[in-house]
Amino acid sequence: MGASSVPLAWYLILGSALFCIGVYGVLATRNLVVIIMSIELMLNAVVLDLVAFARFIEPARVTGKAFGIILYATAAAEAALGLALVISIWRTENTVEVEEIDVLKG
Amino acid sequence: MPIGQIAFLGFAVVSVIAALRVVTSRRVFHAALWLIVAFFGVAAVYMLLESPFMAAIQIFLYIGGVAVLTVIAIMVTKGVMREDRRILNRPVAAGVVSLALFVTMTWMIIQLPLPEEPVFPVVEGSLSLLGAALVDPKGYLLPFEVVSVMLLAVLVVSLYLGKER
Repeated sequence: MGASSVPLAWYLILGSALFCIGVYGVLATRNLVVIIMSIELMLNAVVLDLVAFARFIEPARVTGKAFGIILYATAAAEAALGLALVISIWRTENTVEVEEIDVLKG
Repeated sequence: MPIGQIAFLGFAVVSVIAALRVVTSRRVFHAALWLIVAFFGVAAVYMLLESPFMAAIQIFLYIGGVAVLTVIAIMVTKGVMREDRRILNRPVAAGVVSLALFVTMTWMIIQLPLPEEPVFPVVEGSLSLLGAALVDPKGYLLPFEVVSVMLLAVLVVSLYLGKER
């Protein structure tokens, strides 16, 4: 079986690479839509780690995937809500750059 | 080198390069398209993990839902035709922070005694076990229901926020 020749650590390193790229995107970009995309990338990296753990160290291979599915629903909700917020901010402020959005500043 | 490792490295390189393009490409629309490539790479890695169901969800939910929603949001907010050069916000500091995080996590992963092979043998009918566990009161029924209520609430709030006023 080809898949069994890949160690667990490789999957975890791939997950951490994707997560850190997402962290960079959140920290370094000013566009709200790109920040939401980076958060999706980070969530996807977490689910990748969960599925890898489910395959390698779990007898029934269920727990990791169950949490992964619940995380998927959370990620979809986060994306829908975040993009609705972006569109709402675009309507009132006419910008999606985080530094120009200061309506809540005292 | 076994074929599985070569396939894994190929998919990993594709997803990491696509993810890097997501956070660095000049146009937001291109970033959204690279995001789709990155999600496809992760779906292929799920296939290597013998989880075809997760790969299918990844494609349906992430690419069919999240990525398409993102593309629509970009179209609504900026207009695809407009050239918007993205200005980065403190790219050096952000790069140092995320690189330090990556090095730390990789060092920790290498230190851990992780298995090279799956510890337990393959279970037949893993997908029906997963479905049963999700609706089992002794399993994951509570988070499942909480997440469905949360999805409904988010749907209502998104409709409210997106409405023209």
